Amino acid sequence: MMKTSAEVNLLLLLLVFTLHVKGMRYSPPGKPALTRCRSPEKETFTCWWESGSDGGLPTTHALFYRKENSEAVYECPDYRTAGENSCFFNKNNTSIWVSYNITVVASNALGSTFSDPVDIDVVYIVKPNHPEMVTVTVLEDKGWPFLRVSWEPPHKADTRSGWITLIYELRVKLEEENDWEMHLAGQQKMFNIFSLRSGGTYLVQVRCKPDHGFWSEWSSTSYIKVPDYIQREKPMWVLITCFCAFIFLILTWLLHMNGHSLKDFILPPVPGPKIRGFDKQLLKNGKSDEIFSSLVVSGFPPTTSPNCEDLLVEYLEVYVPEEQELMEESKDLHDICLKSEGCTSDSDSGRGSCDSHTLLMDKFREAKEEKRQRDQEKSRTGTEDQRQQKDWEEEGLTYAYEDMVSPNISSGRVETWPSLFSPLPQYSSSRHSQKSSLEKAKKHCFSDSLFPPGSTSFSLDQGGQTTMEAIRSSNREFSLRIKQPHLLHSHTQARCQLQAHSEVNISSIGCKQALGGLRSPAPHSAEYVEVQRVNEENTVLLQPVESGHGHIDGCSQLPLGKDYSRVQGVDRYNRLLLKGEVPQEGDCLYDYQDMTGDGTENCYTSSSVPSIQKPTACIHTVIMGHDEMVLAENGYIDTLTARTLPNY
Amino acid sequence: MVIQRAVWVLFLWPYLLTCSLPLDCREDHGSFSRCPSISQEKLLDRVIQHAELIYRVSEESCSLFEEMFVPFPLQLQRNQAGYACITKTLPIPSSKSEIQQISDKWLLHSVLMLVQSWIEPLVYLQATLDRYDGAPDMLLNKTKWVSEKLISLEQGVVVLIKKMLNEGMTTTAYSEQGLLQFDGQPEMLESVMRDYTLLSCFKKDAHKMEILLKLLKCRQTDTYNCA
Repeated sequence: MMKTSAEVNLLLLLLVFTLHVKGMRYSPPGKPALTRCRSPEKETFTCWWESGSDGGLPTTHALFYRKENSEAVYECPDYRTAGENSCFFNKNNTSIWVSYNITVVASNALGSTFSDPVDIDVVYIVKPNHPEMVTVTVLEDKGWPFLRVSWEPPHKADTRSGWITLIYELRVKLEEENDWEMHLAGQQKMFNIFSLRSGGTYLVQVRCKPDHGFWSEWSSTSYIKVPDYIQREKPMWVLITCFCAFIFLILTWLLHMNGHSLKDFILPPVPGPKIRGFDKQLLKNGKSDEIFSSLVVSGFPPTTSPNCEDLLVEYLEVYVPEEQELMEESKDLHDICLKSEGCTSDSDSGRGSCDSHTLLMDKFREAKEEKRQRDQEKSRTGTEDQRQQKDWEEEGLTYAYEDMVSPNISSGRVETWPSLFSPLPQYSSSRHSQKSSLEKAKKHCFSDSLFPPGSTSFSLDQGGQTTMEAIRSSNREFSLRIKQPHLLHSHTQARCQLQAHSEVNISSIGCKQALGGLRSPAPHSAEYVEVQRVNEENTVLLQPVESGHGHIDGCSQLPLGKDYSRVQGVDRYNRLLLKGEVPQEGDCLYDYQDMTGDGTENCYTSSSVPSIQKPTACIHTVIMGHDEMVLAENGYIDTLTARTLPNY
Repeated sequence: MVIQRAVWVLFLWPYLLTCSLPLDCREDHGSFSRCPSISQEKLLDRVIQHAELIYRVSEESCSLFEEMFVPFPLQLQRNQAGYACITKTLPIPSSKSEIQQISDKWLLHSVLMLVQSWIEPLVYLQATLDRYDGAPDMLLNKTKWVSEKLISLEQGVVVLIKKMLNEGMTTTAYSEQGLLQFDGQPEMLESVMRDYTLLSCFKKDAHKMEILLKLLKCRQTDTYNCA
């Protein structure tokens, strides 16, 4: 017996020992925790808990609660209804507005562990079930469909008596989208959804919440398909399409009508190179020397800085009002010259020389018209004179015209005329410098018989675009027309000297010597005035030129003929009309500073002309202006360039 | 002279009568209407609306106060500090089944008891909240509004009792020297917890009033189906 008890004791000890060894893993249960308590209708509630580690031993849990204001502890009445690890409180055990103090206890063989107590009030843990009987229908409102969603509160929630007040919320989305559209419906059990997409399938869900509590779960999804209502939108699209087509047609028609001008506006034509007198054949030949030599402009850039204003020449017109025949003849010559030169039009759209050429022609015709008118007013002196003058005129016109034309269109040669208004101190010196360059041109201009080269200085404006028309009148009045066509501006804008402004007509009076020369079959003395220079007051200083000789002597060189040093007046075309008169002995110098047509002549020496700076004898000062007539003592004025004098 | 006064009294007799009448017929909810016209149902509806509003505002006030002044760890344990609701002693039914068993009269009286017991503490709460630093104006406005509306609710319930039960009740006389007891300078946390408890209890009681009144209404309209 003792042995068996000892064995039993030993066995027990062994068991305990082994248990103890194994029991290093055995421990009292871990701390359980109440996870949540919920009441679906504010009449019952359920609490769930979580068990901690069981310590390796079978563990049991128990829930104990204590009501507010009472010390009695009760145990959970129902552990099974709500599932595992839960405690269900039925209606009889549920008091609202009363705080419950709930504790869960986990116990095993080695001990028990209490959870943290939780205070709950049933009123605040209400989470109802989701709404039931959710129905969605498609209704129409004036042709536009909308969804009507209706539902019922969960059947357990007593909303009729007002025990629970529920508010609802629903959400809608298209089947293919990811974002839900939420709508709060308040306490109503019906809701309308508008702005549907035709032909789409919608998903609808509803949930509810008591005024104090938690949101329920979403109800099961209801699917609804919206029928197509695109038919209604069709007429609108048809209208829009027609309108757009109409607009398109109008635009096309406008574009077609204005296509050409539009094209020019967008892509303006590119002007080709245009240098007056420059032969493009040179470029094609490829000889650079020729090209460069032809491009070289002697006298440019000016050695002295000219006053730009002084170089401005616009229009200098010396008009011989009589001699209709001359005009006609000149016109023939004009045409001949025209034909000889020709104006070849090319593809160069910017060719201005042609236009200027034609403009010159136009002006020439104008002068002819004026001359015709003047002829009617005045009587004709003699046919002989006319004839002589005609002859003279012919040649003069020819060469003058050629000279006029040559710098423009002649090929292979560019004549640039040195600036007349370069403030050269001495005319003689400038004359020398100019002479060489002008020699060539003069050859074309004047015949040896009529215009001794040495006695003439022919200076044109640097642009070389001045044209001359020499028209002699029977009264030895002729007008030289020196023009600067405005159309040449494109070529001359680079040079300030060539800005033409106003027109100045200068009527020069053929000197009696010239007439005298004309009377003789072979006139040798061509008297004309040289334009010496223009001083700063825009006064053109003219110098009478004797045939073949200098004119410095002055008085002895007085022309025998008439003296065209008086300004007769200005015609209505703003041309100076010079009047010829017999010079008097002793009158060697004429000052024409103040030309008023009264014929006053002041000796240069006696006059006080501040503008005149060249103390050279027998300098005839010629003032150019709009309303001035310039009297040239001898012959006619070769070159005149002037512009509007501001002080007149 | 006496004859003149007699004539005055004779002429003003109807006016005197009419002036005395509206006292107990006065509509508590802001609109003055003649007593015979207001129906019991409409009156009950208005009382219920009042109770709902009061509950909602008190819930908002409690949340505001909780956010601003109550430390987070203490928020879940409202009654930890040991402050019990002042109305715990009132015999208010605390479950639906209990409520279904009591009579209309008792319902109304319960409501009236609740309302009357909270008038003064709310005034006290208002005073204490003013002492707080940085109490938002919204909180103060809400509590002030609630206390005012509670007085209106009391008057409505009194009229309702008179109509339904034909009992005359007197409204509580608002006395300035109530239970206002300032403990000198209480500790901040203690004061906060006390006020927090006060607000929570009031919120709960406001909900009680609402539920009781709604159940009463259900009984009035549909006696047999009110569960």
